[in-house]
Amino acid sequence: MNEPESSLRIVIADDDPDIRALVSIATKRAGLELVDALGDGESAWAAIREAKPDIVLLDVAMPGMTGIDVTRLIKADETLDRTRILLLSAAVSERDQAIGYEAGADEYLIKPFSPRGLSERLSQFARQDEASV
Amino acid sequence: MTLGSLTHRYTLGEVSPLAKQAPMAAMFVIAITLGALESGLVVHELYSFVVSGFLAAAATVLAAIFSTRPSLWHFALIVPSVDFIALGFLRYGTGGPGSAFAAYVILPVIWFAMEDGRQNALYAMIGTAIALFLPLIVGENLLHDPSEWLRAIISPVTFGLAAAIVNEVSRQARYRLDSMRQLAAEREEMLDETRDHTRALAASEAHLRELEGLMRNVWEAATEQIVVGTDLTGLIDVWNRGATRILGAHIDPLAEARYIEEFHLTTELDERAEALDFPLWETVANPRFAALIDRARQGDPDAGEWTYVRADGSTFPVHLSVTPRMDDSGVPVGYLFIGRDLTREREVNRLKDEFIGLISHELRTPLSSILGYLELMRDDDETELSSNQLQYLSVAERNANRLLRLVGDLLFTAQVDSGKFRVDKSEVDMSAIIRASIETSRPVAANAGVTVEGDGIPEKIVLAGDSVRLGQALDNLISNAVKFTPRGGTVTVGISTDAGNACISVSDTGIGIPADELDKLFGRFFRATTATKNAVPGVGLGLVITRAIVHAHGGEMAVRSEEGVGTTFEMTLPLAVGALVE
Repeated sequence: MNEPESSLRIVIADDDPDIRALVSIATKRAGLELVDALGDGESAWAAIREAKPDIVLLDVAMPGMTGIDVTRLIKADETLDRTRILLLSAAVSERDQAIGYEAGADEYLIKPFSPRGLSERLSQFARQDEASV
Repeated sequence: MTLGSLTHRYTLGEVSPLAKQAPMAAMFVIAITLGALESGLVVHELYSFVVSGFLAAAATVLAAIFSTRPSLWHFALIVPSVDFIALGFLRYGTGGPGSAFAAYVILPVIWFAMEDGRQNALYAMIGTAIALFLPLIVGENLLHDPSEWLRAIISPVTFGLAAAIVNEVSRQARYRLDSMRQLAAEREEMLDETRDHTRALAASEAHLRELEGLMRNVWEAATEQIVVGTDLTGLIDVWNRGATRILGAHIDPLAEARYIEEFHLTTELDERAEALDFPLWETVANPRFAALIDRARQGDPDAGEWTYVRADGSTFPVHLSVTPRMDDSGVPVGYLFIGRDLTREREVNRLKDEFIGLISHELRTPLSSILGYLELMRDDDETELSSNQLQYLSVAERNANRLLRLVGDLLFTAQVDSGKFRVDKSEVDMSAIIRASIETSRPVAANAGVTVEGDGIPEKIVLAGDSVRLGQALDNLISNAVKFTPRGGTVTVGISTDAGNACISVSDTGIGIPADELDKLFGRFFRATTATKNAVPGVGLGLVITRAIVHAHGGEMAVRSEEGVGTTFEMTLPLAVGALVE
């Protein structure tokens, strides 16, 4: 069952179309508005700059511009200072996680992930957002 | 001809009795021949003349007998004694004081005189007297003239004195000969010893040449290692081909004064010297070199990683072992540095890390899809799944999770191998970890019909550790024990503490492990024959991981097992300072 529609807008990026679709489903179930689901860092960064979403969910290991690169760009852009960044990665070591957090990620999610768990986490964001309004 | 053989050949007193008697026998033959030819002129009294001939002949036969038996030679003086009597009769038979053969008496006198012992001079004198006074003994007084009496007294005394002089000269000659003999024997002994030493020396030299050759070969062959020797100040006195090749500099220690620290990264030496913070009372003339040999100078072999600088200024990592060099009496004379270029090793490790990262990513991403979509199917509200379909989903999920654990284990062991595995230590309650692991294992154990229980777990045992990793290690051991225990069996988890250590044991009543496989248990991918025979699932990484966790905590692992009876694994971990057992 999908969550009630939230005002939060999300952009997702993962080079694996299956994972992208899986994350899209989890996003919809959390009731977030999916602005765009993209397959590489460059187009994700273009969409983020244009749409200025509330949340971005980025795969770390994408060809070309990585999720870490996009995170750094977001953090460097003052117009995106309210955008929350979730990184998704198969790299599980503490060092990899530290790099993600140092780049500016708010959360570092490890593959494989539970779509149910991801939906719940995104729903929490939505509730926090509503509470803060 | 040796001195020994010479002295043996000319030994006094070793002439045979027959050889000594020979002159006397010859003189008697002359006397008898003359007596036979000129009887009237020579023989005055035939009976005595004949008796003397017989006695001389008897003495010669006796001498011949003695000569054949050296063991009887100390009785050989009987022969000259008989000669004296024979001469007494000869003198009497050939005219008494006017006998032409009176001078024959000198021959037995010399025999006596030559024998060892001063008393023989006296015997010679007595023998002479017997020869001269024999006419009195046989009853006829030939000493009617006083001058005859005087001669009969003076002659034995003179002969006795002559015998004494000859005896003394012989004694001294004998003494000198004995000394020479002893010297010769000593010299022979010394020569033998010298010959033995020469042979031993030759053998040692050959062995030494062999070792030298071996050393030279090893030295020449060591082109992949930097081998540099220095004195106590760091002045290079040994430089091998490997050093020339790897560092790109040829150094002739005899021709130039170069120091080891010239080939080290200066900033690194300075940092280490600063970190060592040499005490104020210690005079350190060269802190850089002192930092390099800090442990070795205390007598401990040291091994560590340093950065070397080539002749062209480029740098590279090196694994360097430093050992003190001692002289024959054990006094330190310098240091030996053996370095191995780590560039290729580092590159391999980097590629290995990249490979592991790639594999990890490439396996975990499809697993994300599999597990994620399986979950979506299970959570799909619109299409209700049949019980069979739900069971199929469970099987797929279980196996996907199994694959995920395998990837995790492989990643973990790779981290351990590359030395990147670290534990995050804090004060943890080991009792709580044990209780949690027991609870976690119970559903699976119950399904397998195995009981898992704690045995006297104290309320709290605090030690310094990583709670997640320690839990993982204990989960591995309990999960293994459950897998290897037949239905109806028991797995018991216990903990005990002693001097500074906590010992956590996991015992089962399982199938056991063959004794000859116990030492291989902690090898990667090793599976006991009892495991493969009984089709117990696993890949052989659990114990590798468990031991790595225990070692990372400064602990040790042990195992005891008996086939068909059960197995006990023990983790011994150091307790935290001020450990609390309640």
